[in-house]
Amino acid sequence: MSGDSMRVNGTPARGHDPGARLLDVLRDDLGLRGVKEGCGIGECGSCTVLLDGEPVCSCLVFAGQAEGRDVVTAEGLAPAGELGRLQQEFVDHQALQCGYCIPGVVVSAAAHLAGADHVDESSVREALSGNLCRCTGYSKLVAAVLATADDGDQA
Amino acid sequence: MTRETTQGTSRAPAHTGVVGRSLPADDAAAIVAGDLEYVTDRRVDGMLHGAVHRSAHPHARIVSVDTARAASEPGVVAVLTAGDVPCNQLGTDSENGAVLAGDVVRQVGEAIALVAAADPETARRAADLIEVGYEPLPVVDGPDSPAPVTVHPRGNVAGTLTFESGDVATALSSSDLVVDVDTTTSAQEHVAIETPGGMAEWDLGKITVWCGSQNPGLHRKLVAHALRLNLDDVRLVSNPVGGAFGSRNDDPAPVYLALLAWHTTRPVHLHLSRRETIVAGPKRHPYRTRVRLGFDRAGTLRAIDSRAVADTGPYVTAGRNVLKTSAELSSGPYAAPNARFDGTVAYSNNANAGAFRGFGAPQVAFALETAVSEAAVELGLDPVQIRRANLTRPGDAHSLYGHTVSRSLRASQTLDAAAAHPWWRDRDAWAAGSAGPWRRGTGIAMAIKGVGMGSGKGDTARARLIVSATGTVNIWAGPNHTGQAIGTAYRQIAADTLGIDHDRIRVHVGDSELVPESGATAASRSMYAGGSAVHQVCGRLRAVLDEPGVDTGASFDDVAAHLVASGRAEYEAEFVLPDVDDIGRIPPEALADYAPHAVYGCSAQVVRLEVNTLTGEIRLHGVVCAVDAGVAVNPGATVGQAEGGVAQGVGFALFEEYRLDAGVPVTTSLENYLIPTAMDVPPIETVLVTGHENTGPFGAKGMSEVVVVPTAPAIAAAVGSATGFWPRHLPMTPERVRAGLSAMSGEGTSERSGRRSAAERARTRARPENMSAEPAEGAS
Repeated sequence: MSGDSMRVNGTPARGHDPGARLLDVLRDDLGLRGVKEGCGIGECGSCTVLLDGEPVCSCLVFAGQAEGRDVVTAEGLAPAGELGRLQQEFVDHQALQCGYCIPGVVVSAAAHLAGADHVDESSVREALSGNLCRCTGYSKLVAAVLATADDGDQA
Repeated sequence: MTRETTQGTSRAPAHTGVVGRSLPADDAAAIVAGDLEYVTDRRVDGMLHGAVHRSAHPHARIVSVDTARAASEPGVVAVLTAGDVPCNQLGTDSENGAVLAGDVVRQVGEAIALVAAADPETARRAADLIEVGYEPLPVVDGPDSPAPVTVHPRGNVAGTLTFESGDVATALSSSDLVVDVDTTTSAQEHVAIETPGGMAEWDLGKITVWCGSQNPGLHRKLVAHALRLNLDDVRLVSNPVGGAFGSRNDDPAPVYLALLAWHTTRPVHLHLSRRETIVAGPKRHPYRTRVRLGFDRAGTLRAIDSRAVADTGPYVTAGRNVLKTSAELSSGPYAAPNARFDGTVAYSNNANAGAFRGFGAPQVAFALETAVSEAAVELGLDPVQIRRANLTRPGDAHSLYGHTVSRSLRASQTLDAAAAHPWWRDRDAWAAGSAGPWRRGTGIAMAIKGVGMGSGKGDTARARLIVSATGTVNIWAGPNHTGQAIGTAYRQIAADTLGIDHDRIRVHVGDSELVPESGATAASRSMYAGGSAVHQVCGRLRAVLDEPGVDTGASFDDVAAHLVASGRAEYEAEFVLPDVDDIGRIPPEALADYAPHAVYGCSAQVVRLEVNTLTGEIRLHGVVCAVDAGVAVNPGATVGQAEGGVAQGVGFALFEEYRLDAGVPVTTSLENYLIPTAMDVPPIETVLVTGHENTGPFGAKGMSEVVVVPTAPAIAAAVGSATGFWPRHLPMTPERVRAGLSAMSGEGTSERSGRRSAAERARTRARPENMSAEPAEGAS
């Protein structure tokens, strides 16, 4: 068991097995089940979280690698019970269907909006290319992210 | 029964209508916040975790199953094999296979044993410790396999369907042009992002299973049958679920869950891995389809001759019905005085094939539309013109079966809507911009797809409504939600039928205990069938509200209290999908065997692309998707269905090929089975063609399958227009396109150019009639 802690959605979390997948710690130890598993090998992006602001597949990260670092999941993008601007744009654009991939998509999009010098359709498609969605065909996802960028109030 | 509420739309009262408005899905806010609990997210204290031991062989006798080591692992609670299943069969048809294989395995990945353990790692480790002794059998690796064994005792033919109208042979021999197109399409994996699984609990003699399902009624029967339980002692809660597309139609996961919970009498959780989902789960049937079209010089279609061989893998499941759909749609939207379909669905030790969005339509449409596109080239006709001139008109007889085609079919308007887009009109300018090895092209294709299970099936959806004393209208309805926001659409239909605010209405789907049996989320039927049942049940309440003295203008809270107090707060209704008006050439007693449709959705699509003639790479630049959905109840959701359908069509066309080598899966992960990413799907412009389906709720009909169908042939046609090479095999990988371009420029072509000589056409006519399942010429 680890003595060090990571910060998950702003709250220190400790006591996890450093050899466990970050995905399992988030889902099973911390109950953050917005972090989804779709493949377990870093191909689908459903388990995407921010690690010190960078999007990572939490199925490929050991919990020990997150020690002392900030982890943000979809649940942490806005205060509980509220939606951030980006999340609201996904709702308003009907940019989801089954929704299973969407927490990961929103996290990737938030990282892109926070980190990119310039946001356009091409950059958004590239930023989302690690998140597989089988329902939407991506158009509405891209539109929701671009609408958020236009507002200038990112994530 | 007849629908008595078709006129209900005219009642739309003072209430501001929500049908036709793009309302976000009911659970949208929970989804984006990461708060929605899917069936596999469910957890309870004390639950066990399940795992499956699966066959390593495509075809083998099971000699022994040794579970001793697995059972002795600390933490293992149960290890179940064939003998532990009270009735070891998936449903009533033995050719659908066993729950757990005991004597023979017919596919890699077939389930042999189940484990329940204290944690997931122990369950998986124990499953790996099960030792199975096999005696390998020859592998039937396709419909043409020379293997000296059959997959089932009755042989390798799971079903056939032949039908002819007119005299096809004579019509072809007297045609001025015969276009002969011989195609193959690949097995496609659904890749719903949530893999199968969920939870089951056995309590007080009843089993409850939380597991994704497109057909809770069927899954309930499968569970009850396997466990020899009363149907009423099985409850299936089938959402929220992460995608379906046909994969959750007859998925055995609910049976595994139920079996484990029943044996252990403890809650059991199971979540299949991506690898086992890809290996063991159903696929779109790979097909070989050969189409011959006969035209006169003016471009009038004289005959359609279609032959299809489908590989259903080891168990038939949906195979015969898939073939049935292929037969009906083998003539597409076209009118021909002579038509023939000759189809076979065959067993093999390849992937188990089942339902997949489009259900037998994409395979035959690829061949048919490619043939029509090539005919246009040969006859010097515009691709839109040749299609428009040969469309079946609303109210006319279907080419093959002769049944009446619905008057609401808007194939002509849908085709025109696609062709009116600048990406089609400006195709010459687009082509003129070709530079270097990148050749630009534009293609168009179209398709129809029936709505519902078809005539003679008694296809029915039901709804139940209860008004609470506090003014909420609760509606239990099906088909179930698997991502298309159908519950939101039901709410919109209810609100406008009742004339009350949609916030007062709660819709509940996907719980077999509460929702009256309404059939599958399949066959493009959810909006049409479920929406009609909701419309109907709300119509009953509305009729009461319209009685003098009931709706007195008081608030709905007061009206609701009055309804409850007077015992008039509960209603049920059902909607039986209409059969065709005239069954044409189908013998009345065999109507359900052909199951023609009274209602069709339609889509026409334009694709703009570039092909690299050196590498074979295809870059998509845009897809126009015109779709006739009747009235779109929720236009934003409808457009979403269209865009998602096109993306799956893009995958089918360009990337997706589930491959096996002598029955052993090769493409077992998302690293080598590729589906489109955000960078692969081009901009999609959806055009909702204005129409009104008179038998549907507020004029709506189904559209979510038909949008998958035209994408691949439109892409192929665009490749043909760009390069002169007409692809015959899906997916159109760079390797195949490159090989096709090479062959076209050399001799001994395996892929034929669309521009053929008269001599070649003569050879075409002389070609022998018999067809095997693999193209005689080397597939590129």
